[in-house]
Amino acid sequence: MNVFFLVLSYVIIAYMLFSSLSYITLFLLAFRKVYRESELDPREATEDIAGNDRTFPVSVLVPAYNEEVGVVSTVRSLLALEYPEKEIIVIDDGSKDQTSARMIEEFQMIEIPYAVRTYLQTADIKAIYQSSVFPYIRLIKKANGGKADALNAGINLSSYPYFCAIDGDSILENDALLKTMKPIIESDGQVIVTGGSVRIANGSTISRSKVETINLPSHPLVLMQIIEYFRAFLIGRLALSRLNILLIVSGAFGVFHKERVIRAGGYNKKTVGEDMELVVRLHRLLKEEKSKQRIEYIPDPVCWTEAPESLEVLRSQRIRWQRGLSETLWTHKKMMLNPSYGSIGLVSMPYFLFVELLGAIFEFCGYFIIFGGFFFSLIDPKIAGLLFLVTIFYGSLISALAVLLEELTLHKYPKVSHLVRLYGWALTETFWYRPLMVIWRIQGIFAAFRKKQHWGDMKRKGIST
Amino acid sequence: MTIYFFLLMIAFLFLFQIALLFYLVIRKKKRQRYEEEIESQYNHLTEPFSSYIIEPSDVRFLYAIRSTRHQAVVLERLLNGYVAFTKEANISPLVKQLSEEFLTEPYSRILGQRNWARRINTLHYIEDFHMASLSPVLFERLTAANKLDVETQQLIRTLASLDETKVSKELSRFPNVPIRLYVDVFNRLQKEGTVKEIQSALDGTDVTLKYAALVFIGQSGAMSFLPAVEKELESSHAETRIQALKTLFRLEYMSDPDLLAPFFESSIWTERMFAARIAGILQFSRYKKILSTLLGDSVWWVRYSAAEAFTHFSDGDVILAHLSENHSDRYGRDMAAQWQIYRPGGAN
Repeated sequence: MNVFFLVLSYVIIAYMLFSSLSYITLFLLAFRKVYRESELDPREATEDIAGNDRTFPVSVLVPAYNEEVGVVSTVRSLLALEYPEKEIIVIDDGSKDQTSARMIEEFQMIEIPYAVRTYLQTADIKAIYQSSVFPYIRLIKKANGGKADALNAGINLSSYPYFCAIDGDSILENDALLKTMKPIIESDGQVIVTGGSVRIANGSTISRSKVETINLPSHPLVLMQIIEYFRAFLIGRLALSRLNILLIVSGAFGVFHKERVIRAGGYNKKTVGEDMELVVRLHRLLKEEKSKQRIEYIPDPVCWTEAPESLEVLRSQRIRWQRGLSETLWTHKKMMLNPSYGSIGLVSMPYFLFVELLGAIFEFCGYFIIFGGFFFSLIDPKIAGLLFLVTIFYGSLISALAVLLEELTLHKYPKVSHLVRLYGWALTETFWYRPLMVIWRIQGIFAAFRKKQHWGDMKRKGIST
Repeated sequence: MTIYFFLLMIAFLFLFQIALLFYLVIRKKKRQRYEEEIESQYNHLTEPFSSYIIEPSDVRFLYAIRSTRHQAVVLERLLNGYVAFTKEANISPLVKQLSEEFLTEPYSRILGQRNWARRINTLHYIEDFHMASLSPVLFERLTAANKLDVETQQLIRTLASLDETKVSKELSRFPNVPIRLYVDVFNRLQKEGTVKEIQSALDGTDVTLKYAALVFIGQSGAMSFLPAVEKELESSHAETRIQALKTLFRLEYMSDPDLLAPFFESSIWTERMFAARIAGILQFSRYKKILSTLLGDSVWWVRYSAAEAFTHFSDGDVILAHLSENHSDRYGRDMAAQWQIYRPGGAN
């Protein structure tokens, strides 16, 4: 039995070292680009396309389910977006609260007859409203069908060639859409999807739907999520995007070429990870068509979102994310290690399977052996110590590195104390936050087998005053 | 590999990170101090600068800027603020004069540096301030460039903004030049240079250049090119005809409504759509009957544009009400009903 645990320990050590190395490689790949662009004058970079006829019009889709607290401030922040031509479509997916009523009241909306094209099949549309103050704000009231179904309904109603999907509780920075559309415009359509960076708003002051002061929250659980977002967005997504093997564009903020998405069949209603599944499907089609079109991630455009502050909500969110990942990888298992899909099949899919999905199982075994080694002589305490050190390396030190990368490049948090606090908390990750994540992620894998559809309940406080 | 090796590795990485953290903390503090200094000098100079711009005989600013420690950065921010505030400022002789006197040397230096982001920013500022003094330096860089990357594209825009007509010739060296870059060049050249370039683009055989010229005519409302645009409606290339229709839609003018007639029956839906849109925006009453036929077209966008066209006519409401009840096509009736209430358009 001891031999089994000993072998398992070495396997986990090797796994963690390999994963850490893959993170560091991604870090190095990401660093050059972010560092190179970090001093660009943001106003000058978008000045040429702001107010220019050359931009493509964009439909902003806001799927909302029980978002009465945040939906109005999200739409207000969208009104303030600097973009030459846009329309805003809120899709109330059968909310049980006052989501539609808040929209109708705030923007003086009236019901209109609308000849909707049914590119994608959705649950019943009950009514379509148009604002009498801002005619480009529309509201679809429909029967509940899930987030993917809501987005598909928004695509059906949209009139423009590109759509931007954002969450009902998010706030976009004024120039976020311009910056996100820039690669699409400059590539003459070769870039078909762009994903922007999502940041956590808790702690910052957002007034009248505009980020006034950037600050850190006091709650350690939220602080750790901020660090986690750095790790995911700055290290992972940017590097994968540079290799054109990015598999996730966050559902909270991404721009898509509508016709491409329609040709791909729209959002998949059978998974809770509809954002990732769509991107993987688009990659799959691009590879099958031998197309040179790209999916890109931009580190700077910022979408602010509210992070869960309670363990219960965070748990439910993480289970949902992990389940979405499992379902996507399973749906597209044909691509795994398949040379026909190039680097997506040979690098990206295995990376998401072994590092992002199965990582939780390896880490769980690691924590179990460390505990057993130190307290129950399951293995030699020296090996347990070794495993412990590797776990710290894999967890805390890589996250601390992500904090430093953020400061070296984007430095969005203005105070020195912010940097020190974030760094300090990153070092604690292995000891409390990561074990929690590991358990929830494993629960997420099991949840993938149960297949129960839901939007995920997030108790909103609202991020804008 | 022993536990000591890993201990050493962890300790090394941790110490490296601590060192990096200290470096970043110090860097952040230094930056904050630097920014505070710049901010204070900026605030100190704002009033004399505004005064100088309004009344150039008030030369307090010129004395003050000469003795300012961060002269180039502060002046750059003052000029940038002014240019962003008032768009006419980019042709202000004072902006040009100040920037050429104080920024020519620092900008020449930055253009030779390795920092890519600063080089790009500088190219934008040269354009904003109309610093013709740097034209020779920029042109030298353009002739040395061998690929059309982000920096070369900005170099071309900046040179065009300084009315360097030679950029067009340089641009022809590169394969696959995007339409938008040609349009940017046309937009930036002085009127006389643009007219010549557009004329030669319309007369030439380079399709990309021709499309760019059509896009520019539509955007700038250059009515003098109307006959040339209308001539392109007879082109054997569908894409050229569509670009010409798009331009006419933007110009909101046609010399002869009959030229539109063949497009209502085109087998290409984009042509039918633009014909409907033009008929609407130019209120060509003679096409009302054809528009009502197009309301039952098999393509959604054609139906949409045909219904929208009716909203431009004074009796459009009545026609739409009638068609929403009586049109032979169910989708046509729905579309007409929608346009009785619906208000189109996006936020501009």
